[in-house]
Amino acid sequence: MPSTQTPPIAGVAIDPTSLRPPIDDATIERVERSNLRVRLETLKAEGYTMLLDLGAVDYMPREPRFDLVYHFLKMPIVASSVAEVGTPKRLRVLCAVNDGDVIKTAVDLWQNADWAEREIFDLFGLSFQGHPDMRRIQMPYDWEGHPLRKDYPLRGPGNERSPRPPFALKSNVQAGTPPTGRTLEALQEQVKKAQGK
Amino acid sequence: MLARLDDVARWAQSSSVWPLTMGLACCAIEMMTVTSAEYDIARLGSEVFRSSPRQADLMIVSGRVAQKMAPVVKRLFDQMADPKWVISMGACASSGGVFDNYAIVQGVDTIIPVDVYVPGCPPTPDGLLYAVNLIQQQIREGGRGGILARA
Repeated sequence: MPSTQTPPIAGVAIDPTSLRPPIDDATIERVERSNLRVRLETLKAEGYTMLLDLGAVDYMPREPRFDLVYHFLKMPIVASSVAEVGTPKRLRVLCAVNDGDVIKTAVDLWQNADWAEREIFDLFGLSFQGHPDMRRIQMPYDWEGHPLRKDYPLRGPGNERSPRPPFALKSNVQAGTPPTGRTLEALQEQVKKAQGK
Repeated sequence: MLARLDDVARWAQSSSVWPLTMGLACCAIEMMTVTSAEYDIARLGSEVFRSSPRQADLMIVSGRVAQKMAPVVKRLFDQMADPKWVISMGACASSGGVFDNYAIVQGVDTIIPVDVYVPGCPPTPDGLLYAVNLIQQQIREGGRGGILARA
């Protein structure tokens, strides 16, 4: 089904309470971290039997910095007829968290959350409370740091051969708080120069 | 028929360079192609890809080596019986290629000695065949190390 929705607007997600416009038929909701576990339990009871994906996004320097993103699918089966299957429903749950926050695991509700939570721990450094096996999953076990964080150096800590400016997020620049010290005007100037204008 | 025993041994050795079954990334696809009827690495006596490093003479590092994979590659190399040879196949294995980042080893020669480097991304099967040819040449001449397989 082609999407009739407008694509997400850059910078919108900087505000933790704001939601990106949906790009598919999924409904999106944002929950507080304190309510996350309760909400997940409710969703499971409501028939969201499938956790399609679980990921995280680093919105540095936003406060709180990270977003957890849960993708759910509900496949209600109409009991009266085998051929008739109810319309599937998709739900995306966002939850803003900070470094070091206590996040409750979802492994006991959806088993496939196991590796997904380990991946988030590995790459973003967010730890899940109650996870049966909170280890790294992709990087070597003795790895230092969490590579998908925005402030992680591309070549790894201590391996930068040439200094690079820290990440310049488009949304930061729009918000007027560039970590690089470059303003929106300076960036536009740079683009113009590159285009030879 | 007169020949030095050394030469006979080298001739036998160079005519049966058995590679290790080890595909790391997309270069492995080209490596597999080399065994097909079109390229037919059997002409060089190297069609027997051994699944055990104990029986392999040649390690073809076919693709990018992740930091996590590096100890495994090193271990496989150590498990291969001497004499052994290494082909670094493609840009990633030789220098990290486009993956100039924390996850990828910047050249497999930082962990194991390389005999022939094959340029390309990925190299053509002909390129790999030529590299095996160079290995054979090295074996016959008794030399080692650091050759760039450039046509």
